Amino acid sequence: MLRSEQIMATVEMVQKENLDVRTVTMGINLLDCRKGTAAETCKCVEEKITEYAENFVDTCEEVAVKYGIPVINKRISVTPAALVGAGFTKEEFILLAQGLDNSAKKVGVDILGGFTAHVEKGMTKSDRNFIDSLPQALAVTSRLCASINVGSSHKGINMDAVALVGKTVKDLAEQTAESGGFGAAKFVVFCNQPGDNPFMAGAIHGVEEADVVLNVGVSGPGVIARSLERTINRVGRENLKLDDIAEEIKQITFRVTRCGELIGRQVSKELGVEFGVVDLSLAPTPKIGDSVGEILQIIGVDDVGAPGSTAIVALLNDAVKKGGIFASKAVGGLSGAFIPVMEDAVLAEAVEKGALTIEKLEAMTCVCSVGLDMVPIPGDVDAGTISAIIADEMAIGMINNKTTAVRLIPVPGKKAGEIVSFGGLFGKSPIMEVRNVNKSGRFIAWGGRIPAPIHSFKN
Amino acid sequence: MINKTFVISVMSKDRPGIIADIATVIYGLGGDLADLNQSVLGGYFTMILIAEFDKKVSKKILMDEFGAIESETTIEAIVKEIDLDSEVLVQILPAETYILTAQGDNRKGLVKVLGDFFFKRNINVLDLVTTKLNERYTMIFQVDLTEVASMKVLREELDLLAKFETLEVVLQHNDIYMATNEVGMSLDVSIRNK
Repeated sequence: MLRSEQIMATVEMVQKENLDVRTVTMGINLLDCRKGTAAETCKCVEEKITEYAENFVDTCEEVAVKYGIPVINKRISVTPAALVGAGFTKEEFILLAQGLDNSAKKVGVDILGGFTAHVEKGMTKSDRNFIDSLPQALAVTSRLCASINVGSSHKGINMDAVALVGKTVKDLAEQTAESGGFGAAKFVVFCNQPGDNPFMAGAIHGVEEADVVLNVGVSGPGVIARSLERTINRVGRENLKLDDIAEEIKQITFRVTRCGELIGRQVSKELGVEFGVVDLSLAPTPKIGDSVGEILQIIGVDDVGAPGSTAIVALLNDAVKKGGIFASKAVGGLSGAFIPVMEDAVLAEAVEKGALTIEKLEAMTCVCSVGLDMVPIPGDVDAGTISAIIADEMAIGMINNKTTAVRLIPVPGKKAGEIVSFGGLFGKSPIMEVRNVNKSGRFIAWGGRIPAPIHSFKN
Repeated sequence: MINKTFVISVMSKDRPGIIADIATVIYGLGGDLADLNQSVLGGYFTMILIAEFDKKVSKKILMDEFGAIESETTIEAIVKEIDLDSEVLVQILPAETYILTAQGDNRKGLVKVLGDFFFKRNINVLDLVTTKLNERYTMIFQVDLTEVASMKVLREELDLLAKFETLEVVLQHNDIYMATNEVGMSLDVSIRNK
């Protein structure tokens, strides 16, 4: 048997620090479901998802009970729908969206991701039909998440798509105005979107993947927060330096990652499905004590957004990667710290105090994954400004060879400072002020592409 | 010559040199040490070991040799000859090995509470460590749950027990502890082989 102190340290992690597996996501390739008509394709899609995921939720529950580690979310990602429905009309894409939504309901998963297009270099007619379908597709479905990749370090940024997507975000919010623009919370714009990310709304099953795989997202930030508090109390703040803090984060991430991978591999074995990757991302929830913002406060800023916040996020992100990569031979996805405003109670509180601005959030996204996530903005912000915010964030990803994303929610009829709440995991927050609106229209109107940076030409 | 295998249990007030004394006796009689467990508890040294000897070595010879050790502390030994083939000596943990930890304010009968709980459910305890620190009692049981039909039911029963006895009880699969503490443990190989 292991030493008593090793066992009790793990017990603390499980019992007092709420260790869990944040998500187990089954990726399913749907390219072989393409048939002669949209209706036939939808039928085949539903059959394939049901075939592979029929026992998925039950198996996750059984493994969770066996190991005593809760699996919080059970989800599905699929091949980007724009590829499955290549040549479809707008109406046919909406039909496909409903087929995917029905499949998610049938197998009991709460969210299915992959209603997606990759248009970083150019758009086909079919891609445009897909983008046109998005507002209605997300309004008539409940479990479907959508994403679009408009930039990459290798291909540059497709500014025609960026301009189009700014309007789409507005339309999505307006189509779901009665729920505060919730439709926009199910849509994310990417640069360098990974094909093995298990986290929503941006999970897809990349075309480079095997037919069916399981990806795992490990436990949340609460484990790291409690572990840091314990160490600081035990050793004394005056006896610790920042490199000690980084080391503690590394070690706890190692343990958390090993736990997540163990559960994921067991579910894979039970289902006879290939294991994909462990995503090391720290994904907060609105629950008290499950916040990335709280870690920043523990490390030393009174409010998230104060000077020093970016440096702390850099330290945190790097330590998480180092601990996780040593722990697992299959790390992938996004693997960093998320700072989704509405989903993180401490970030939302910082917005309320006026400590956290969109500009500071943007700075922080330069050193962590993923981007401007779950940011509610006033409903009257114009599409051009939204596109320009997206372009800024895409540029950070493109130049730094990292994933960045934007999930803005223009809340219809509401102004900065008013509260918007979606409930559950989507959380609530005051609406953030967007400064300098209506000043970027001429830039967005150019269209075309921002060329890929010189350091992408490595052949 | 056919060899003999003995289980030898030794206890003494702790001091430097006990292991050297015991090992000298075993080596002197041509013995070959196999598994050994040793710990010090409350200032007392305890050790249990398995060793193989030539046929001519008997329980009496061993007891005489241990009794002849010159020491300021008394060394008490128990020797038992066993019939053990070498395969049994290799201990492989069952696939359903779990760790149950239970913590609570110290009082009489806590180990009995858990012991009875396991016995009623045909659960074998593979290892047990307990500590008392500042009137807080911690028990760590390594148990084999092969005979348990439903983990869900067992967890419900443990929740009830914990509530009734005012204990903090956590039951986790042994693999969780191995995965989070053993750097060299390959998770895919471990799961594939179960």
